[in-house]
Amino acid sequence: MDALVAENVEKRYDETVALDGVSLSVAEGEVFALVGPNGAGKTTLVRALTGTTAPTAGNVTVFGESPAAVDESRLGVLPQSFAPPARLTARELVTYYAGLYDRSRDPDDVLSTVGVAAAAETRYENLSGGQQRRTCLGATLVNDPDVLFLDEPTTGIDPAGRRTVQERINDLADGGATVFLTTHDMAEAERVADRVGFLADGRLEAVGSPSALVRDHGGERRLVVETDAGTDGSDATAADTAAGVLSELDYAARTDDDELVVFGVEPDDIGDIVGALESAGVAYSELTWTEPDLEDVYLELTDGRDARAPAAAVAGGEH
Amino acid sequence: MGTATRINAEAGAAWRSFVRRRTAVFFTFFFPVILIVIFGALVRTDPTGTGLFTEPAGYYVPGYLAVVVLFTPLSRVGSTVARHREGNRFEKLATTPLSRAEWLAAHTLVNVGIIGVASVLLLALILLITDAQFGFSLWLVPLLVFGVTLFCGIGAALGRIADSQDGVIAASNSIALPMLFLAETFVTPDLLPEYVLPLVDLLPLTYFSRGVRAATYYGRSPAVDLAILAALAIASFAVGAYAIPQTD
Repeated sequence: MDALVAENVEKRYDETVALDGVSLSVAEGEVFALVGPNGAGKTTLVRALTGTTAPTAGNVTVFGESPAAVDESRLGVLPQSFAPPARLTARELVTYYAGLYDRSRDPDDVLSTVGVAAAAETRYENLSGGQQRRTCLGATLVNDPDVLFLDEPTTGIDPAGRRTVQERINDLADGGATVFLTTHDMAEAERVADRVGFLADGRLEAVGSPSALVRDHGGERRLVVETDAGTDGSDATAADTAAGVLSELDYAARTDDDELVVFGVEPDDIGDIVGALESAGVAYSELTWTEPDLEDVYLELTDGRDARAPAAAVAGGEH
Repeated sequence: MGTATRINAEAGAAWRSFVRRRTAVFFTFFFPVILIVIFGALVRTDPTGTGLFTEPAGYYVPGYLAVVVLFTPLSRVGSTVARHREGNRFEKLATTPLSRAEWLAAHTLVNVGIIGVASVLLLALILLITDAQFGFSLWLVPLLVFGVTLFCGIGAALGRIADSQDGVIAASNSIALPMLFLAETFVTPDLLPEYVLPLVDLLPLTYFSRGVRAATYYGRSPAVDLAILAALAIASFAVGAYAIPQTD
């Protein structure tokens, strides 16, 4: 059964279109990450799904019911930029939110789960940014929800804190909870999500597993060659020379000052390319081979592709 | 049980948050105290004629209490609503079982507690500083409770309308200051222009003033004024609860 369903959801604020016909479904127990630029409509979609904003058009259901009809004890919501009462201690905060439900988890157990047990007696205002966000996550988990909405749960947290939150998200999913999160961190989406949705200008541009999205939208594997100065005294740079050499080997390449980006390079091809460059006397200082990832998908789907994709400066054909 | 538990949780968090804001606690009590010191000193000069502060000191007891009953809930609840909105706390609370009415009931309880303590201190101070002759009456309890409830409701509505804590403070001062002096607190009706008198009857604080004065100064039953105050408080609470933002 689908835990969350959005069908042709539109949300307009006067002339501004925040959501433009968004349709998606999230299965029970699935971790779904929604990514997109600032202002893409991520928070509006979370609010539509949690019933804290009414869509202008379309339909939203949570466990088959409208959000307003769902038993609140099944929901756990961590809003974006959430600022709870700052003068309460971490334990008092979690206890406070626990008190809003008829049945709740032991606050100390929740604090242990999110790794803030040692700071339970510290006021929220005196916790580190990471501890604050994890305490907020604790307040979201205290009713043992069936579905969690986490709006940028790791924003402002250091890498170790991010990893802790991500591990908790994975634990929750392993325990059967459905997780709907928004993030700007592509590595986070790739690490925790079963599926990722890309939202841009209020439209859901693509949805799929991280691997499928990378395959379909991430572009080719590439080798970046940092070349040294020109080799033969001509006006051509080393990168231009290298591009010419590689075009004979049928590699698509793009030059950018002293950088050469070669597309469609498999690991086994690297030796051949290096050999060809050295044969042509091209001096280079660094070789970097990269696989496309969700960041490339993001750039592709959000008009950021100019930074990576082959364009006018391409030399040679497709490989 | 569920409602009581939720109100208790919300009120507990609100109370702890308040008592740990030392500046807020200090000024909550300092403001009415300084007003008593100033006005009490004016009353003790025993001015003659028909001008300001010519009534016996006990006449002004409702005015002193009105300062805390009016200003404190209006600005506190209003700014709390603004603070909650700025921190996306209502977005979180909207997805919990806590209803808007329960939220406002919890914060009203906290204000009743704060203003109850402040009122006891003020009455003691009035006795010490102003030599006022007045009677303690149990009617004061419901008058204070309904008075606080009334202005908590209006404060919640202000918090909804104003877009920031600064805006709430400015709006609450704009409403409260004129009301304080027009609602038969420190200025007797015969000193007011005749065209203002109909407005006096429309001000909710007037019924608090009349009720407190009836109970403590004239020794009469304030039942009618209390009934009007209670009706206004219930209406204000309903409007305030409805005004609390849970969605955009």
